[in-house]
Amino acid sequence: MRSALNKGRVLFTVWFAHMSAYRAEIIIWMLAGSVPLIMMAVWIAKAQASGGATGGFTPSDFAAYFLAAWLTQQIIVAWVAWELDHHIRQGHLSPKLLRPLDPFWEFFMGHASERFVRLPFMLVILFAGLILVPGTRLTPDAGHVLAYAACASLAFTIRFLIAYSIGLLAFWFDQATALDEFYYVAAAFLTGTFAPLEFYPPFIQAAVEWTPFPYLVYYPVRVLTGAADTPEILRVLGVQLAWLLVMTLVRALLWKQGLKRYGAVGA
Amino acid sequence: MIYVRELRKHYTVHEKEPGLVGSLRSFIRRRTKIVRAVDGVSFEIAPGEMLGFLGPNGAGKTTTLKMLSGLLHPTSGTVSVGGYTPKERRTPFLKHITLVMGQKQQLLWDLPALDSFLVNQAIYEIPNDEYKRTMAEFSEILELEGILKKQVRKLSLGERMKCELAAALLHRPRVLFLDEPTIGLDVNMQVRIREFIAEYNRRYEATVILTSHYMADVTALCQRIIVIDKGCIMFDGDLSALIESAAPGKVVRLELSAPVPDERLQEYGRLESRDGLKAEILVPRHNTSQLAARLLATLPVADVTIEDPPIEEVIGQLFTGVRAPAEAGAEQQVAAR
Repeated sequence: MRSALNKGRVLFTVWFAHMSAYRAEIIIWMLAGSVPLIMMAVWIAKAQASGGATGGFTPSDFAAYFLAAWLTQQIIVAWVAWELDHHIRQGHLSPKLLRPLDPFWEFFMGHASERFVRLPFMLVILFAGLILVPGTRLTPDAGHVLAYAACASLAFTIRFLIAYSIGLLAFWFDQATALDEFYYVAAAFLTGTFAPLEFYPPFIQAAVEWTPFPYLVYYPVRVLTGAADTPEILRVLGVQLAWLLVMTLVRALLWKQGLKRYGAVGA
Repeated sequence: MIYVRELRKHYTVHEKEPGLVGSLRSFIRRRTKIVRAVDGVSFEIAPGEMLGFLGPNGAGKTTTLKMLSGLLHPTSGTVSVGGYTPKERRTPFLKHITLVMGQKQQLLWDLPALDSFLVNQAIYEIPNDEYKRTMAEFSEILELEGILKKQVRKLSLGERMKCELAAALLHRPRVLFLDEPTIGLDVNMQVRIREFIAEYNRRYEATVILTSHYMADVTALCQRIIVIDKGCIMFDGDLSALIESAAPGKVVRLELSAPVPDERLQEYGRLESRDGLKAEILVPRHNTSQLAARLLATLPVADVTIEDPPIEEVIGQLFTGVRAPAEAGAEQQVAAR
């Protein structure tokens, strides 16, 4: 246990230093992921045009929702599918495979530490958003904030596992990243990034419930905006844990089978 | 220490004609063939032994090393390294071995090498005092002082290779797979790396398998040679035995004190070169001494040296000799999808 903690500490520290070297790029990536902020402007304009509210959402409700969605999206972003695809196809996975540690942990720590590099920028943009739209507020309740921290961490881990599993398909296909592109399109619609799920037809809402998508953005947003009560928070955490388990098993299976096909190309 | 029996690795590769027509044809009907990268290799290596793996590009050297280190799953055959089955990649096995690939790096590109060393220290669970001792040793032998805190991407190729070696050996593995560890390095750096490998082998009684295109690496470090071509072992034995079997002659270099016609020199063997009073004659190995004595007695010789032909030439001859008959059965067309 002590050794595992030490490995985690060292990997986090070193990868934080590594990611800090890319801080300028990280800001650009953050700006590239600003769809929720654009959607916020669109929905606020629509609410104002409709006389102050649309579907029960006032402009400040929309602002709170999309700012929380933007924050959550920043927390769960994962590019490991691209990294893995590259590592597998180019043979760069080989040095990592020679070490007595599942490469998963190094990629995971790389992503986790990167969140802390982007944290100051996230907070600045979040507060700027809260100030720019009068009356906008996220939950002031410390319990909800803590619950959000748990939900967002689980959402990140689930998204990371999905991306990792997609990346592992490079053991079978020439370009696994094509599937990650497909994920992006599906996620944009189904996680609640374009609109709160209340605005979707009921049958889509019901179908989406059976996927991990709403548990990545929509439900964490409800927790941070204070819309979710305690039973709902507990249910969300439970479902997230179930998805975490499912994706852990999927990843383990793909890893075990994929390694048999690894070509370790390059000298 | 290492036991390999009937090891095979066969790949299915896709084939496509160049150009648009080739692309369209391949889209409809994808042709595949099986490449036998390693085809029934067997050998054993004793603890502490240093073995040179020789062969032309694509012979199967690196594929064998990758199977021995657990990166590749064999198609068939048995491999045991220190009692472990490499493909299972168990933690004690991975702590026991290392694979240095001259053309692949494990160091983090944007950070100083020291950070990668710290990662390895944690991953291999190396205690602090042992880490410090090893680092001090490596710093001394490899002269790492002053380069450990520089960003890896700012190091020269030689400096980077030294750091790669140190990172790969930090956990003091007992089995070293070294795949072209001196590739691209200048002569001085090659010598430094060779000395380090020899020293490591002496200090830790490590078993070493080395592949290299630089024959000097192999002749300086390895007593035993395995020559592999088209996935099959062509020779396994002492370097001197390899030279004897592949080069049945010795080179006699003469410096004459007076001119002698070529015909008289050809009485002793094949005249390889002639430049005024200098000549090189290839004589049969089995009666080199008698011929040399006769040559000294009958010709006006100012100076004479008798040597084995250069190892590069011997290996070259060995490969050209085996290529032709091996060519036919090495690859097999199998299927069209």
